[in-house]
Amino acid sequence: MVIDMRVKDQVGFMHDVSRQLAGSLNVRRTVLTALHLAVPEVGDWVLLARFEPGGGATLTAWDGTTATTATVASLSVALARIRRVGQTELLHVELDTDPGDGLASLIPDAAMRAAAAGLRPADVLGVALTAHGTTGGALIAVRGQGRGYDEPDVRLVEEYASRVAVTLDSARLYEERTHIANTLQASLRPPVLPELPGLRMAARYRAAHERMEIGGDFYDVHGTKDDVSVVIGDVCGKGVEAAVLTGQARQTIKTAARFDRSPAVVLAALNDVLYAEGADRFVTVACARLRPAERGTHVTLAVAGHPAPLIVRRDGTVEEPEIRGTVAGVWADLSYREVELLLAPGDAMLLFTDGVNEARGQNGFFGMTRLRDLLAGYAGASPETLCEAVEQRVVEHLDGAAHDDIALLAIRSGD
Amino acid sequence: MSPTLTLLPDFEQALADGDAGAAVTLVEHLLANGTPAEAVMLDVIGEAQRRIGERWQRGEWSVAQEHTATGVSMAAVEAIARQARVRPVTRGRIVLGCAEREWHALPAMVVGTLLRDRGWHVTFLGASTPADRLSSYLRDVGPDATAVSCSIVGALPSTRQFIEASTGAGIPVVAGGAAFGVDDVRARALGATAWAPRLPEVVTIFDDLPTVVPPAPPLPAEPLAEQRALELAHRRLVDAVCERWPVDCAEARDCVEQALWTLQGALLTGDGRLVADTARWVSALLTARSVPGMPTTALAAELTMVLRDFPLAVDLLRSHWDATCP
Repeated sequence: MVIDMRVKDQVGFMHDVSRQLAGSLNVRRTVLTALHLAVPEVGDWVLLARFEPGGGATLTAWDGTTATTATVASLSVALARIRRVGQTELLHVELDTDPGDGLASLIPDAAMRAAAAGLRPADVLGVALTAHGTTGGALIAVRGQGRGYDEPDVRLVEEYASRVAVTLDSARLYEERTHIANTLQASLRPPVLPELPGLRMAARYRAAHERMEIGGDFYDVHGTKDDVSVVIGDVCGKGVEAAVLTGQARQTIKTAARFDRSPAVVLAALNDVLYAEGADRFVTVACARLRPAERGTHVTLAVAGHPAPLIVRRDGTVEEPEIRGTVAGVWADLSYREVELLLAPGDAMLLFTDGVNEARGQNGFFGMTRLRDLLAGYAGASPETLCEAVEQRVVEHLDGAAHDDIALLAIRSGD
Repeated sequence: MSPTLTLLPDFEQALADGDAGAAVTLVEHLLANGTPAEAVMLDVIGEAQRRIGERWQRGEWSVAQEHTATGVSMAAVEAIARQARVRPVTRGRIVLGCAEREWHALPAMVVGTLLRDRGWHVTFLGASTPADRLSSYLRDVGPDATAVSCSIVGALPSTRQFIEASTGAGIPVVAGGAAFGVDDVRARALGATAWAPRLPEVVTIFDDLPTVVPPAPPLPAEPLAEQRALELAHRRLVDAVCERWPVDCAEARDCVEQALWTLQGALLTGDGRLVADTARWVSALLTARSVPGMPTTALAAELTMVLRDFPLAVDLLRSHWDATCP
């Protein structure tokens, strides 16, 4: 009868372990969850060691209330044995000796050893964390007098350790892949906007894919403080493949602008480069050159198949500059037209991608009329507020419907 | 008079003018004179925000004016945050954000700044963040805690998704904001690890959270099913009520939406006080706009008609809609 109860408890325990570890993909959180579950079923005090490539280990100890961490440069003898062959180590601590001596073979950190010894342990159990044939760490568990580990106990801890090991292995793999992906993505992420005298800028990016920060829309700002290029664009396609093309377009524009900041020249160069590659890929771009004027900011504007930016005057008038141009990358030897305009202090310009006006909810497209009406109420607002207002209104219009990438870049003349 | 009180009118003027530069200068002046960041955020920015909320409620300001002014307050908080970021990180990591439909990022920004000031490493996700995106941050950051700010009742259901995402990963989650009301009833019902009452107490709650928490228990099945049905039918129900309810003012649709979202929130949290609060909110809004007759009472009647297939929601209306509101 007693045995039956114990089996029942153990089944319940393993069920909890499976449920709470399921899908855990962060190493640190997986370690904390695993240790949290281990007390008291596995031991009164537990330590999880993750072996590091250089021969050391990262240690996390848990006494049921507080987690402590430490790193060691080398493994203690019993831990080293576990790493080599994955064999379980059970140590009975003699009552009349200093428990620290025996613990030293399994617990390599002095402070943690002292914490474990303070419990006057009877048994110390070391179990390998082995997943897919590789031992990536060990679990050390300590129990007090009268509650030593018998055979079924050891099997339970081994079973627990194998589940922890598989979850940890997935989390470690996920972190490695995330690190690679993040490093590669860094150049594709929206840039941090520069602070420029006489101008304020803000931007928003909402990728079509909710879990991603990148997509087929892009914006960029470069130049010197009295001659700045501002671009926003949209490449054909979606997701990672599109993001790679945005990286190329951004780089081409940046390089071209170093030689001549004239938007028409920059767009023609972009068209030439993409066309010469012969791939059936195209990009739409709006490109603005900003220079300080006597009163406000002088803007030169050109577009390649992209909606013209909207100008929000300080008095609430919304203007759409008359400018057209062909998408870049499809036809050879295009030239682009430019328009000139002036942003007086307090005037703003909003560059956007078609994820805004073509956002489609139950009441049809968001459309240019809604956008212009909305902006008219935001005369004099900060560029952050302009972007926020548009993003919020578009997302509300979508009401949960899928959307394309959305990029917004607002510039306000005047400090 | 304290320096914060003296400068309040100037700060309000900066909000009214949409003048972020002036607001930032005022805030930096206060900080330079030794006013604690907390006092600047609560007594100046918080107080000014409360007043502009009232101006909208009274019909003096448009949504765009309120939004523009809030943008200035955000620039002021950002100025405080810049100074807080100089301090060393001495505590763990917190991921902070607002669930979908919650576009009021300012309260979360204030909390984030106070937490950073206290030595926490804060990852701020901003307004209206999908739960899926939160999950991917939780995996990447592996924080010690999640914080979710919810000011509008319409965001209570998506806030529950935030709580599920966080506790499902074993991460404790602190819920706070105006939509949670004056006690921990709603936060507890939604499965949050802790309720953040109000500033400035919020920041100390993070010191004593459990390291690992179990997944939030499932919500009661029947109210949950009805809330989901309300969510799916939301637009149709709003249209139906608006057609029947004879109130002609720009905010009529907002009132109807608010009432329906309130019912969703009350179903999920089991807290009928939400319904009473919304009745008073609608009443104050319509009174300020001189809407004649008994529009608030009429709204409850129309809702009851249109919601005939939602028995629990109708019960909530009958028991809690404040009948003293005209």
